[in-house]
Amino acid sequence: MATLLDLTRRAPPALYRLDPGLDDGTQEFRCIVCSPRLKAWIEQDLPALGSALGLQLSPLEQFFASVQTFCSDEPLTYGEQFKPLYCRGRGVWELRTPDLRVFGWFPLKDHFVGVAGNDATYIKQHNLYEGYIGEVVRFRDALDLDEPKFIPGEEATDVVSNYNFA
Amino acid sequence: MSFQITISPSRKAAARFVTTVRRAIQKAYVEEQKSGLTQTAIARALGVHRSVINRELRGKKDLTLGRVAELAWAMGRSPSFALPKTVAILNSNLPPVSSASTSAIVHRAVGPASAVPANNNPASVVALEMAN
Repeated sequence: MATLLDLTRRAPPALYRLDPGLDDGTQEFRCIVCSPRLKAWIEQDLPALGSALGLQLSPLEQFFASVQTFCSDEPLTYGEQFKPLYCRGRGVWELRTPDLRVFGWFPLKDHFVGVAGNDATYIKQHNLYEGYIGEVVRFRDALDLDEPKFIPGEEATDVVSNYNFA
Repeated sequence: MSFQITISPSRKAAARFVTTVRRAIQKAYVEEQKSGLTQTAIARALGVHRSVINRELRGKKDLTLGRVAELAWAMGRSPSFALPKTVAILNSNLPPVSSASTSAIVHRAVGPASAVPANNNPASVVALEMAN
């Protein structure tokens, strides 16, 4: 069994830490690590995606901004209606931007392990939520990670600190 | 092993700014909700359907600068905007400081050429203030 840090240091790594590239003066407060598949998607597929909603920020730029907010010490959201994190059950969470859904889980508070991502419109049109949830669960089960492997809570405050300003 | 999202410095700046403005509007709306403000009331004040306001608040519709001002007005706020000069400090996690007071620290002026988006908590740059 291994810690998250161990898994990012293996050769080849089982997980890759996503460096948010925060600005000077901003401490990394929450962190994201990625499966090899998610890393490949971020590097190869995401840059080619256009906004299905026709937004000025591309999905890649939306994801960058989302990662910046997630990893900073700012509240993730304001109020109850704007949900950048959504629990899909079985300890699976999605990190959301207007055009994207990234699926993963929280082994520790403020530590998100992303497994797979895709265009939100495509996921909805093809009803792929269950498939992605299953993929996260299978990846998590197969991962040589210390138990307990995930936080079971379904409230965002169970998995992240400083979730809501309100 | 770690990696970063590959994105140009200018687009990083755009992504940060657009997100900062949206979050400022969301924060103002949630604060005003406590006083009874609703999306329906904002929509009525601006002469649009409530779904338009909903999509704008959620980030599913882009905001023009004019719309930012209209939303602020409808929430009893006034937008403020500033373009402070940016200075990045190399190899440091300190906030930017004026070069005059830190001669011992290596500084790099930030502009389109060097393209290092220096810090500055964006929230300090854009705000929706209570209207007087």
